[in-house]
Amino acid sequence: MTLLQHLCQLLYDSGFGTMIRESDYAYSIIESVHVITITLVVGTIAVLDLRMLGLVLRPISITRIARAVFPLTWSGFVIIFVSGFLLFWAEAAKMYTSPAFRTKLILLALVGLNPLIFHSTVYRRVHQWETLHVSPWRARVAAIASLTLWGGIIVAGRAIAYF
Amino acid sequence: MSLHSWFIALGQSSLGHAMQTSKWDFALVEMVHLLALALLGGSVLVVDLRLLGIIFKGESARLIGRDLSRVLIGSLIVMILTGIALLSEEAGKCYYSPAFRWKMALLAAAVLFYFTVHRSALLRTDHGRPTPWARTTALISLTLWLGVGIAGRAIGLL
Repeated sequence: MTLLQHLCQLLYDSGFGTMIRESDYAYSIIESVHVITITLVVGTIAVLDLRMLGLVLRPISITRIARAVFPLTWSGFVIIFVSGFLLFWAEAAKMYTSPAFRTKLILLALVGLNPLIFHSTVYRRVHQWETLHVSPWRARVAAIASLTLWGGIIVAGRAIAYF
Repeated sequence: MSLHSWFIALGQSSLGHAMQTSKWDFALVEMVHLLALALLGGSVLVVDLRLLGIIFKGESARLIGRDLSRVLIGSLIVMILTGIALLSEEAGKCYYSPAFRWKMALLAAAVLFYFTVHRSALLRTDHGRPTPWARTTALISLTLWLGVGIAGRAIGLL
């Protein structure tokens, strides 16, 4: 048994993990919060991505949209991460072997990498292009990557229930 | 034909049969339903927070409402179509489910409200600060849509 697997088993067997797993309501309520918060995280990121693709809100500049949605995205991210971690805690031993969960973690790492690359490249000169109705191709690639990866995370997350 | 017999017919249709026999069909449709939820929820949220005067102050509520309504309508159509497919898996059972009935009632109320009272509040607010009436409209809209989501989650649980 690897160290990581051992840790997952410890979480799974812990009193708190067992409590969430065996409670009549706790798991379902946390899961509902997790699912509904998708709208706060992915929904707001999607609005920025769609703007960069020139599909919505073209008269509003990119930085103005980013400033408006990021507080929502980040507060949603805190909720979705905490609820997600609690769900993981309750099912940690099963999650260790779940291919869907592993896929989701890989996609999450990639979706974190995307803005890092974006911000250190084309976004540095955002003031030159933020009012363009359709953003430069590098920004459009980042937007499509973001939409695809977040979509993949939702799909992989749902797939955890199946395999 | 009564409403109940429509539900039974949906359950016995080839769509219902496919959804009942293949686990993957159901999972796939569920995933698409969730993807559309992200877009629908995001657009509702941004529009209503503008109407509350929390974000995009000074930007045209009319423009935000118009552009994001397209996203909302597109994702709503996807959610309704995938929703019918999901329903066909257990249509007879859903007919009697209180959670399902609540979801449909709230959905009807949310859609009706969105395209009437809510729309007129967006048009009237436009570039200005929202009136208490516009803010109330935004709160009602958020509550109705959130209610649809919560009732939807409850279908599988109750």
